Amino acid sequence: MSLWSIAWRYLWNRKLTTALTILSVALGVGMISAVLTLREETQRRFEEEGQAFDIVVGSKGNPLQLVLSTVYFMDAPTGNMDYAVFESLKSHEDVTHAFPIAMGDSYKGYRIVGTSRELMDFAPGARSPYTLAEGRYFEKAQEAVLGAQVARDSGLKVGSVFVGTHGLVQSSFAESHDDHPYTVVGILNLSGSPNDRAIFCDIQSVWDVHSHCDADHDHDSDSDHDHDHAEDPDHDHDHAHDHDHEGQEVTAALIKLASPALRFEFKDQINKHSNAMAAIPIMEIQKLYEQLLGTAKLVLLAIGYLVVAISSLSILIGLYMAILQRRRDLAIMRALGATRGEIFGAVIIEAFWVTVLGIAAGWFMGALTCVVLNHFLVTRIGFHVPAIHMTADLVSAYSAVVLMGLIAGILPAWQAYRSDVARDLAEL
Amino acid sequence: MLNRKDAVMVLLEEVTRRLGPGVHFSCEKFYAAPGSRTALWGPSGCGKSTMLNLITGLLRPDSGTLRIDGADITALSESRMDAFRGERMGFVFQTFNLLPPFNALQNVLLGMRFSDTIPEQEWKSRAVAMLNRVGLERRLHSKPGTLSVGERQRVAIARALVNKPRLIVADEPTGSLDPKTAASVMALLLELCEEEKVTLLLVTHDRGIAEQLPDLFDCTGLAREDAS
Repeated sequence: MSLWSIAWRYLWNRKLTTALTILSVALGVGMISAVLTLREETQRRFEEEGQAFDIVVGSKGNPLQLVLSTVYFMDAPTGNMDYAVFESLKSHEDVTHAFPIAMGDSYKGYRIVGTSRELMDFAPGARSPYTLAEGRYFEKAQEAVLGAQVARDSGLKVGSVFVGTHGLVQSSFAESHDDHPYTVVGILNLSGSPNDRAIFCDIQSVWDVHSHCDADHDHDSDSDHDHDHAEDPDHDHDHAHDHDHEGQEVTAALIKLASPALRFEFKDQINKHSNAMAAIPIMEIQKLYEQLLGTAKLVLLAIGYLVVAISSLSILIGLYMAILQRRRDLAIMRALGATRGEIFGAVIIEAFWVTVLGIAAGWFMGALTCVVLNHFLVTRIGFHVPAIHMTADLVSAYSAVVLMGLIAGILPAWQAYRSDVARDLAEL
Repeated sequence: MLNRKDAVMVLLEEVTRRLGPGVHFSCEKFYAAPGSRTALWGPSGCGKSTMLNLITGLLRPDSGTLRIDGADITALSESRMDAFRGERMGFVFQTFNLLPPFNALQNVLLGMRFSDTIPEQEWKSRAVAMLNRVGLERRLHSKPGTLSVGERQRVAIARALVNKPRLIVADEPTGSLDPKTAASVMALLLELCEEEKVTLLLVTHDRGIAEQLPDLFDCTGLAREDAS
């Protein structure tokens, strides 16, 4: 009969108290497990998006803002740059893919992103974030392909017609482009990427809409208007691709290089020798992650460890009370020949059992949380939450919990260690 | 009674121990031969339990000679004393002192767990044999709470003897039993000590119980107030 089984039988002898203590440890461990897993997956997903393009080029400003606005569709663009800049980038020998991005309008808060048809065929890594759930890709101006979340929230279907409003945020005061309606021709699969929240169209659509705005404004001011599509209902937007791009602007260019190793050199070239600004998405996003999500992770982890610390306290109190009630048993064991060290060890082992079982139960609770979150998030935003797997962070966290549990066992074990056997037997 | 020191299982000479302010224990001389059965008799508070604690090493004397089975236990370190106790002594208590989480068999196994006297592979067969010997072959897996008081004391006797000790110390072993059960438990204890050739020291305040044993040591006055 080992000390391990002796300790186990004492825990089993007070099942309810033991179960409650294990549960309190499990709550903390479950929270830590879920937070670490979610953080890892969030970071992986963010970085995956950031890795899709090696460089983003836009007008000068804040590089993070440029990345957020063009890759994640989350912030206001830094401004526009000449289409000529995009064309020169596209013809650069190190560039394998270059896609223009033009933004300025939105529909119900979802951005209308003007780009080239080729972007829809772009499949970075093993991912295909532009696959169609239904319909087809846009082929001419004023045709739109909706991200899955846009389609679901707006209720638009293939064949639906909608009108964009000026600006990138939903506002009742926003100017509506009634004269340039879009027709939905396709809906993308839910990808869990920013694409779910975007409306893609040919870049010509954006240019057309805004040239009209500019033209209308010009007309209002100096009546110099010679190309008003709105007054021509039969106007065929098929001619869009035939437009001369001279004088047009783009918000940004998404660039894929021949090798990621060229990123820094390419970025430096752009930043030093042109009026545009280049940013490396993965770098910007990692900086943001550390600043913003890193803090959120720390807060959640701190809460998790706080719960574990409180659980450790309950281990300490539970064991301490048990030792007080068990002075008789400990004295008998000493009378049977158990050394002080063996008594100390048996109590520490009890703390270890509670902690390890708490970790096992917590792991299960964390896994269950991830399964539930996965079910919810996959259907809502296409965000896949993986099952908990052992990462270095998780192993460190579990080790810390074991350590805290053992530390919690030291005081009761010391109490048992220094008990006066003769007195305890005399008091029986 | 004894002529040679090496024939002494328990020897106390000029043993003193302070028990508290103004009270001390003092035993001029006590000895018990190997295989003897001695009652330590006296009224409550006379010092017989203190004497038992000194003999078992749970209390250390302030002065005097205290030899058990040839060893000067006052010279043993605490850990050596723990091992010595586990190997050479068996305990029977008034309130049985079985450990509640463990069944009868496991309680007896614990008697061997903390010493190296019996090889581990023999633990179970030895424990079962002892429980059979005390008539509990059908209660091996019963928890103490489900046993009668007589059965509990039988388990305690089996636990005390399972380790083949040289000395059994029994503190009021029949104090919690009805007369009929007490008589049968006493008979069993004496019979087993005879069989196993174990020295028995039995503490009791009951003169009738004490007189069932061949030797009687009157403990009256061992614990007393300091002379002013």
